[in-house]
Amino acid sequence: MGEGSKVSLLEGAEIKKSACYFCHNNCGLNAYVKNGKVVKVEGDDNYPINNGGLCSRGNMNFKFHDHPDRINYPLKRVGKRGDGNYERITWDQALDEIAGKLTRIKSEFGAEALATAGGTLRTDDWARRRFMNLYGSPNGFHNAHLCWIPTFMIETAIYGWCPFEPDLANSRCAVMWGHNPGASAMPEMRHFSDFQKKGMKLIVVDPRYTETASKADIWLPLRPGSDIALALAWLNVIIWEGLYNQEFLDNCCTGFDELAQHVAEYTPEWAASKTWLDPEQIRESARMYATNTPGNIVWGVALDQSGKSGGVATHARALLRAVTGNIDAPGSDLMGGPAQDFITDEEMEANDLLPEEQKLKQLGADKFPLLTWPGYGKIAAITKQVWGKAPTAEWMCEAHPPTVWEAITTGKPYPVKGLISLATNPLNSYGDSKKVLAALRAVDFHVSVEYWMTPSAGLADYILPAASALERPIITSTYGCADFLLASQRAVQPMYERHDDFTFWRELSLRMGHGKENWPWKNLEEANFYRIQSLGYEVNSYDEFVEKQRFHFPEREYYKYGSVGFATPSGKIELASSTLADLGFSAMPTYQTPVENEDDDPELAKEFPLVLTTGGGVMPFHHSEFFNIKELRFLRPEPHMLINNETAAELGIEKEDWVWIETKRGRIKQKADVSPAIHPRVIFTERGWWYPERGAKDPDLGGVLESNCNVLTSTEDKDCDQYGGSWANRGLLCKVYKVTEANTKGGL
Amino acid sequence: MARYAMVMDTRRCIGCQSCTVACKINNELPLDIIYNPVFTDGPKGSFPHVQRTDIPMMCMHCEDPPCVHACPTGASIQREDGIVWVDDSKCVGCKACVMACPYGARHPNEVTGTVMKCDFCKDRVAEGERPWCVKTCHQGARIFGDLDDVNSEVFKLVNGERTVRLLDELGTGPCVYYIMD
Repeated sequence: MGEGSKVSLLEGAEIKKSACYFCHNNCGLNAYVKNGKVVKVEGDDNYPINNGGLCSRGNMNFKFHDHPDRINYPLKRVGKRGDGNYERITWDQALDEIAGKLTRIKSEFGAEALATAGGTLRTDDWARRRFMNLYGSPNGFHNAHLCWIPTFMIETAIYGWCPFEPDLANSRCAVMWGHNPGASAMPEMRHFSDFQKKGMKLIVVDPRYTETASKADIWLPLRPGSDIALALAWLNVIIWEGLYNQEFLDNCCTGFDELAQHVAEYTPEWAASKTWLDPEQIRESARMYATNTPGNIVWGVALDQSGKSGGVATHARALLRAVTGNIDAPGSDLMGGPAQDFITDEEMEANDLLPEEQKLKQLGADKFPLLTWPGYGKIAAITKQVWGKAPTAEWMCEAHPPTVWEAITTGKPYPVKGLISLATNPLNSYGDSKKVLAALRAVDFHVSVEYWMTPSAGLADYILPAASALERPIITSTYGCADFLLASQRAVQPMYERHDDFTFWRELSLRMGHGKENWPWKNLEEANFYRIQSLGYEVNSYDEFVEKQRFHFPEREYYKYGSVGFATPSGKIELASSTLADLGFSAMPTYQTPVENEDDDPELAKEFPLVLTTGGGVMPFHHSEFFNIKELRFLRPEPHMLINNETAAELGIEKEDWVWIETKRGRIKQKADVSPAIHPRVIFTERGWWYPERGAKDPDLGGVLESNCNVLTSTEDKDCDQYGGSWANRGLLCKVYKVTEANTKGGL
Repeated sequence: MARYAMVMDTRRCIGCQSCTVACKINNELPLDIIYNPVFTDGPKGSFPHVQRTDIPMMCMHCEDPPCVHACPTGASIQREDGIVWVDDSKCVGCKACVMACPYGARHPNEVTGTVMKCDFCKDRVAEGERPWCVKTCHQGARIFGDLDDVNSEVFKLVNGERTVRLLDELGTGPCVYYIMD
């Protein structure tokens, strides 16, 4: 290629302000559009999240947009489920038939017999909730239970809103608790590196020596699932060494004396045997957080994925901010509350339309009240009084997914006959995959709105083509719970016959006779404009807002609680939480053992002597996606588990050997990454794995059970977090052995 | 005249390989050709005392490039600003440059029969843009610029920080500098 070529391609191209949605950071993109086609995509240098940067996945937006494997037309199954035979049909036919089926399900079994599952920010969530409310079913869900939602709701119960925005620029210490932005949130990682250079301390709590841990001042490689012991011991050190913030406690909190007594027994020495950490390490790290104020505890998924011991650990961790006064002060974790000047997701959901008796039927509400209508309703009522707004119900108030799978398979507590899933592959992403598989085989009617032919889509009756990031206008507002928003536009209208799912839900809803008055906006741009109009910018359309403003950040107001108060029953931060107590839990966090362990079940530990942690992300994949994109897969062609070098030597396992990882629920195989980066008794497995190259058809379904970490995880009620029902990815017992011909004969 | 160079701040690199992919996608490289691999040294040590360093690699755009000397056809060219590139129309695919390069930065393309290499995204640089690997790096671990410009960040880093050059002893004068911990 000679000098100066390639330049003309972009001549005359229009730049559209789009966004990546391959993870929650929603990095800004510039899409170059020429003659109605996207010709190039690059990071937007002027976007505050990423400043032009893109991770390996983000660089894939152009390829993703028109990838040959994409589903582009509505498909209807012909022949047996799982055989992979589909015929192309029109949208009209698909929607008419689906509407007919949903009408029959409702009349025969009740509206609650329809469940819907959503993916990760690939979906227009308020539109789904609006549809479900109009239809009358409380049984929508995501993998919300494993990702921030328990944290949000527990913290909201205690403080009156979740303080999820770390003010890092003024911070002196950031704690990454089960969070590895070095592999999951690159734009965040950049900030940590920048501020670390300016003197901010970095504490990383993680069983693995991760990308992020490698940059830490203190790395705490605790036993998976033992976070509650560490958090209680930190509280003990901070309170009993007098490192707390007396003024903040006096002015803003109730229950300090009770808490001090409660944690008196939880000394670092007590925690050491439970966490496998050294008592001095625990002391030193607690002191580092408490004395380098202001500071932050940055959210990560680990506690949300720890099952039984996860909720209490989240509860205890939340109290650390309170006793150190690290809430809403400059440099601390900011509690901006819900948006006051634009219309939130919750206000678009039309939750009032769902009858009270239907709310009561939400699956899992009787067992796990926090993230279902009983807890959500209670908490939302208080936040509405104080903030004037409620958290998003989609995400914060959902059916308990394992209970939905169970209902599909057994018909108990009542039958669930229909499932609509959007941009999600439940076989890989929900706990206990064999149970999910049984449900997907048993369900009467399954519609999958998808990008790819995933193993789960391979069992669907209808597959509908989903529009992707460059084909959707996206408002990013931290699941509808932030006081700010970032906005992006469609680069082009959806290609082929793809649709955004706002359009899908609206069209389906109108066919079901829900009435146009319930869907006054013809498209997402109209709906988005309705939401931002009150901001008062001089714009006449949503697109104009994106082009001229791109984002809206209200003026930062520290110590907002001074004027608003805390949205709790007492109006203060409740170190002994009356809301949690009213829901039937201990007002203060009590110690829970990891889901599976040698003390509670010595027999199990004899057979399965190692501790498993899974669910953490590795680049370049996200959840169960991108295994089919060869420009990414070459970086990591095969799944890898991480095992300590000494343990591997004892077990005769060498680097790159295929090994079985087995829990009492089943076994999978991954290749061995042998390294000192993990405790000798801990095993880490990569998540999400399937093999698209094998085809998503029976009997193999893309090898969906072969290397999929969720074959190992537990969703049994007793293993779930008592507050919200999060199931257990971490703190399980497992064994590991080399794959041989002899031990492979029986299959998986 | 400019003298283009790159500084790799390994204190910031986390081994995410965004640069690897950004280069491959935007320069439309064949799947088996990688201009920007990232090598991870470690994790090494003994649990829990472990260490890792991520080292992004690429063409070093040497001051005295052995690949250019080895090229019999004049296809390998070093510009005055230091950028080493290959003129496809003159390359016969003899691979002499592949043998000569001590950094493994030259890649035979079996389909076209020519040899490919990083050209510091010279077309972008001509437009005032940064190379793709630099723009894409969230971590700001790659810094590109003009060593002859005393106000440039690369000049300040090369002259103000302790840097090393890989295989410096071979005397090719690599223009990629590494800040190690």
